[in-house]
Amino acid sequence: MTEKALLFNPDQISKARSEPLWLEEARKGAYEVFRAVPWPSKKTEAWRYSAGRLKAVPFDLPLEEPRGQSYGREALPEWVQSRISSADFSAFLVFKGADLVYAEVPEELTEKGLRFLSLHQALKAYPELVEAHLYKAIPARQKGDANDKLPALNAAIWNHGVFVYVPDGLQLEAPIGVLREIEAGVLSVGRTLVVLGENARLSYVEEHYSPDLERPSVNLAMTELILGAGASLVHANVQSWGDNVHHLYRQRALLARDASLKDLTVNLGASFARSEVGSELAGPGADSEMLGIYFADGDQHLDHYTLQHHVAPHARSDVYYKGVAKDRGNIIYQGLIQLEPAAQKTDAYQTNRNLLLSREARAESVPQLEIAANDVRCSHGSSIAPIDSEQRFYLQSRGISRLAAENLLVAAFLEDVLGRIRLENLARYLAGAIEQKVGLEV
Amino acid sequence: MAKSLEIQDLWVSHDGKMILKGVNLSLPLGEVHALMGPNGAGKSTLGKVIAGDQAYTVERGRVLLNGEDITGLEPDERARKGLFLAFQYPLEVPGVSIANFLRLALKERLGRDVPVTEFYARLQEGLKTLEWDEEVLGRYLNEGFSGGEKKRNEILQLLVLRPQVAILDETDSGLDIDALKVVARGVNSMRGPEFSALVITHYQRLLNYIVPDVVHVMMDGRVVKTGGPELALELEARGYDWLKEEVAHAGGS
Repeated sequence: MTEKALLFNPDQISKARSEPLWLEEARKGAYEVFRAVPWPSKKTEAWRYSAGRLKAVPFDLPLEEPRGQSYGREALPEWVQSRISSADFSAFLVFKGADLVYAEVPEELTEKGLRFLSLHQALKAYPELVEAHLYKAIPARQKGDANDKLPALNAAIWNHGVFVYVPDGLQLEAPIGVLREIEAGVLSVGRTLVVLGENARLSYVEEHYSPDLERPSVNLAMTELILGAGASLVHANVQSWGDNVHHLYRQRALLARDASLKDLTVNLGASFARSEVGSELAGPGADSEMLGIYFADGDQHLDHYTLQHHVAPHARSDVYYKGVAKDRGNIIYQGLIQLEPAAQKTDAYQTNRNLLLSREARAESVPQLEIAANDVRCSHGSSIAPIDSEQRFYLQSRGISRLAAENLLVAAFLEDVLGRIRLENLARYLAGAIEQKVGLEV
Repeated sequence: MAKSLEIQDLWVSHDGKMILKGVNLSLPLGEVHALMGPNGAGKSTLGKVIAGDQAYTVERGRVLLNGEDITGLEPDERARKGLFLAFQYPLEVPGVSIANFLRLALKERLGRDVPVTEFYARLQEGLKTLEWDEEVLGRYLNEGFSGGEKKRNEILQLLVLRPQVAILDETDSGLDIDALKVVARGVNSMRGPEFSALVITHYQRLLNYIVPDVVHVMMDGRVVKTGGPELALELEARGYDWLKEEVAHAGGS
């Protein structure tokens, strides 16, 4: 990828939207970082298995721009209709491309203090709230190595996004959701900011879907999750893009004292997906559970990187990622538990398990520990195994077809992750989506 | 009489080693046969090969079910034609509940959707015969089961799926006498003109409770002797050595 092809002008993005000056400055700073740091290469540890794939990502596509579209509820795409009929969202937003095309946020929730709207709407309506939190979990000006290349690009040129704010003490039980479809032949750059006040509670689901695209698109997305003291967030990011989408995602959660995050990252779609999911345990008593499910078929390449960054003592984090690959699918997991010197009495766990359904499928699993404190409990484990042929024979011997037996074994393999999600409807939907992938001939 | 299961000159290898060396065996419909023999004779291999375990290679010979050659069929195709193997070492499958598994298996066995009421009627009957609590249905398939519970679960599957031909591979091993009686009661409840079974066992003990019509003895990959129930008693009393000599003598002459 040549730098020449990437002649974005962050000033223009800011000016066209009459953004506040602080944001214009932040974009400029980020763009400088983007221009200054190298692209991740094979020598970039966290990118060692995907640097080649990154090189082939067409970043020089035209930026996906808002076009002012909006839909009535009946005109929403079929997949959205189907998801909202079963997902039990108490509020939801629908994006098509860079446009927020439909919003359903009951007044009752707004009166209680929930803010749930596009990031640009929020910049107008609640500028102080946005300014106080944007770029806090994923800074606009990073320290500056190859790992910061894509976050810097996103920080400089994002032009659509979501803002969620739950004030102190507001506890919402039913999940809220965002459903988004990407367009063909674009570079889509979006940003999500979720802020929970002290003792606030929320379940938030992001779902990304597209049909198979005839022309490639790139989705470069960043999500910041900011949890106040004692806040509790259930968050799921479900990626079901079609073929020809390149998905590049970074998520960072900042957890204050006694905050609790239950996170789920799902990668089922896209030709190439790279998800970096991290939690910074900044306050004592914070707890971050990070679950992951991914399934590659055909020639899909799905890469995951997790970071458990313990800054404060007495915090807990637990990563549990499970992947399945069939056909020529390629699944990758790398993860780092990083303990700062002050992070005494930490409990940190990291587990990655992979199941291969064909001889051509490939998996990599690299858990890592970096520990600067001495009074801690940490463990990590990983495995890569083919499907158990004796278990399959046992099931088949009861009349269950080979395909149905493999389906049962894949479902059983993923069952404990799905079982740990607090979102029953989502778990059921994912079980169905995974079953389809097992049976799909690619 | 109709032959429900027939093994003809079956030669089978595993990892390049010949384990079955020309097995011949006939199991008519409505009968229960015992298959006995010393360790390493090939009894369990025969059971698994009949069920279609692809870890083994059939070098020669055929397996017929109701006159149809099933040698090349997938394990599930054989099961849908009415074959059942109770495993010597049932597999643990965490994440799959017994109820879900059995309902899917029954649907395949009958080739149609099974109403919940019909499914539970079969389950309740099986549980009652086996003196087992319904609580077991919510558990994952054999996960954390004792050896005895695993064997009982095999028989529960037998009672729910109601196959035409069952192979019971050392279902008695690891069972105390009470569990053995319960398991035998389960198998006996299936006996009738439309059911036949091949009971593979190392000991005569089980045959006190499941009385066979015919006893076959396997040694070194072959059926070397076939007789009535009294043959099992003779083996119990005299061991296998006399038979080994008899076979060696017959082979030498």
